[in-house]
Amino acid sequence: MSKKIDERIPQNSGEGAYFKNYYGIQSPWNKIYSYQDALHYASRFESVLSAAATQALRIIVPDYKERAQLMCEEAIERLYVTGKYYGDDDGFGIHPFMCGQYAGALIGDKGDDALLMCGRCQDFGTYRAEKELDVCDWDICGSELCRTTTMSLQGQAKASAERRRKGPDIDYMMVEAKGCGDRHCRIIAESREKYPAPPHELWESFGPAVTDDMKKVTAEEDCVEESMMFREECNYHFVNGTNNETDSSNQMINMSTGASLYILPAIAETVKRGYVTREQADHILKCVLEAAGKAMFGERYAIKACRDWLGVPQSIGEDGRVMGALIEMLLQSLVCTYEIEAFNKEEVIYVIDRSGLEITGTKDVPETHVWMWNGMVKTLVNAQWSLWEEDSPAGKLRIRIAKKIDKFM
Amino acid sequence: MYKNIFKYDDMKRSEHMAVRTTVGWYFWTHQLLEITGPDVTAFLEYMFPNNIGSLAVGRDRYTTMLNEQGEIIDDVVIMRMDEDRYWVSTLYASKTDDWWYFHQGDYDVDWSEITDEWEMYAVQGPRSKEVVESLVKDSISDLKFFAHMDTEINGIPCMINRGGFSGEKLGYEIYVHPEDCDALESVLGPAVEKAGGKQVTEFQVMAWTLPTEANFYYMRDLAHTNPFEVGLEKNIKWDKEFIGKEALLKVKEEGPTREMVGFEVPEADIYIRSKQYGGPGEAVYLEGEEVGRVSKLVYSYVREVNNGYILAQKGRLHIGDKIRIHGYDAVITEKNWM
Repeated sequence: MSKKIDERIPQNSGEGAYFKNYYGIQSPWNKIYSYQDALHYASRFESVLSAAATQALRIIVPDYKERAQLMCEEAIERLYVTGKYYGDDDGFGIHPFMCGQYAGALIGDKGDDALLMCGRCQDFGTYRAEKELDVCDWDICGSELCRTTTMSLQGQAKASAERRRKGPDIDYMMVEAKGCGDRHCRIIAESREKYPAPPHELWESFGPAVTDDMKKVTAEEDCVEESMMFREECNYHFVNGTNNETDSSNQMINMSTGASLYILPAIAETVKRGYVTREQADHILKCVLEAAGKAMFGERYAIKACRDWLGVPQSIGEDGRVMGALIEMLLQSLVCTYEIEAFNKEEVIYVIDRSGLEITGTKDVPETHVWMWNGMVKTLVNAQWSLWEEDSPAGKLRIRIAKKIDKFM
Repeated sequence: MYKNIFKYDDMKRSEHMAVRTTVGWYFWTHQLLEITGPDVTAFLEYMFPNNIGSLAVGRDRYTTMLNEQGEIIDDVVIMRMDEDRYWVSTLYASKTDDWWYFHQGDYDVDWSEITDEWEMYAVQGPRSKEVVESLVKDSISDLKFFAHMDTEINGIPCMINRGGFSGEKLGYEIYVHPEDCDALESVLGPAVEKAGGKQVTEFQVMAWTLPTEANFYYMRDLAHTNPFEVGLEKNIKWDKEFIGKEALLKVKEEGPTREMVGFEVPEADIYIRSKQYGGPGEAVYLEGEEVGRVSKLVYSYVREVNNGYILAQKGRLHIGDKIRIHGYDAVITEKNWM
């Protein structure tokens, strides 16, 4: 194989023609998508990967309650520690006079918008807060993830509160969840000092809320589809009630995924607690993610749509460049740098910045992508093709897409 | 049916009304920047549109801070501690720090954030003076509005500043070092209770219901407005250079295009979105055309009505006008419910 790089439309194509410069991503054949499209694409792809990873976790810990409790315990502790040592109250608009855990709601509010989980804050006070979401790309990952994210917020709220004068503890609950089929996600946070209710286990973070009669439900026609950062009526900025204001670049800075932030750490926790060995966990993850990848292009129309989305010329048939192009779109969307070592009809090789793919610093995220991509190439191209890691330099992920015969595949 | 989060809440009501009828105390620490240097007064004159040079040592002044477009980017209280030393009380110290750094140029000034060195307690309401007087070593009886003095409470060194964000004629702020907070609270709480008052604990009361009733703004209300639009143009010192002056002169000449108006919603249990929770606020329509957005919607415990502000196109909404917002009847009012 020659490691030849076939002709591609250069990234700066059109420079000097006096067009305006736009921020976006570009396929090897000059299909250009906006930054906003790229974010949506990355968010949903990573959500699909996260949903598949959740299935692996479900195999490892079959009992719902046991699994949800494990996930919640792991998340609340980790996010508490993260919040304690790397907390950024000023960055979330938490004012010095805010005492107690209610200010944690500001962390969740900003995080939601950054993750394209658009909606609105309905109440924000010392003893009660309410946040309603209309959109959540993570809604396919499983309801145990909804419980877990709620407890991670609880952990961050606790860490933030410990930096200030003491105030009320708050019970954060997701009383409606799109992951459960509800129209909205709805977090209601209540002080048990003011709104007494029996204590509950961590995983039972779905309410009901004592203040259910105060909740404000947005009608379908008033629901939004975009975060404030992409809405003209918001001047293309997220702004919360404490006037914390951020533009859309904040979304990439805050990019996290269900898998990177919750599912993979939970799987690591199952290893730590002895449910499975690391090798067994990786085996299950690999099986599930490869299957999920294959399912993405099992129908011919999905292949056609993907080729169209990438702008693949008719002259390019079933080869690894199509898969490579799709990976490039994701890497660009994640602002993950990569080098093209080969790009031709025999093979495609990328050398990817590993840290760029370790979303939220989770070390095993790159491997999950390799497993899923290997599944995808089997149906997007054909079963003669594989994708694997090979000879990665330090700090890099070198992947190769080529034909491969393996009698034990 | 959306149960009103203010009207039926006895806790919020009692905390709010304690300030209005007797006295309330609350932890109210803001961020503090201390700025010094030979050029400090000239620098602050350039950073802020109000008159800083005329501020006497020991006195305070409220002012907005503007960007080059004349938009309000912060509103602060400046306290003159010494001839060449000021404190600036803000909730956006990081942004202000960046802004000053960007505009420092050749001004010989130096500043640092001293938020970690001082906590602040608000004591607000008609009986606040007698409460504070009963605690301090040196009498505060002659302390003027927006003036501060050093003294002690039970041996705790503190600074008393007369002022506040509640709209009360009598209100004080007690600055103490963080290590003295417990000791201060142990005497302040009982003194307030003895006067028939109580502690205010609810953010919505200290930051929203009390100030709104008195036509005060939280920074979220002011964002992306200019002083003419929100009625804060009166104290601008035009015979000096300050950031935003050119843009603001244009507004002065042409007149503002928007204005902040008050409104009430008589029906108790409503769902109208407002900017105080973040986001753009509910659109306000007049004859099918959007004429403004709801900036603030809270509750006046004095008047027993939902009250707030609309940032509207100038001249489109007049006091007494009846409008509908998100399906609810509303009426345009003055911005003061005291």
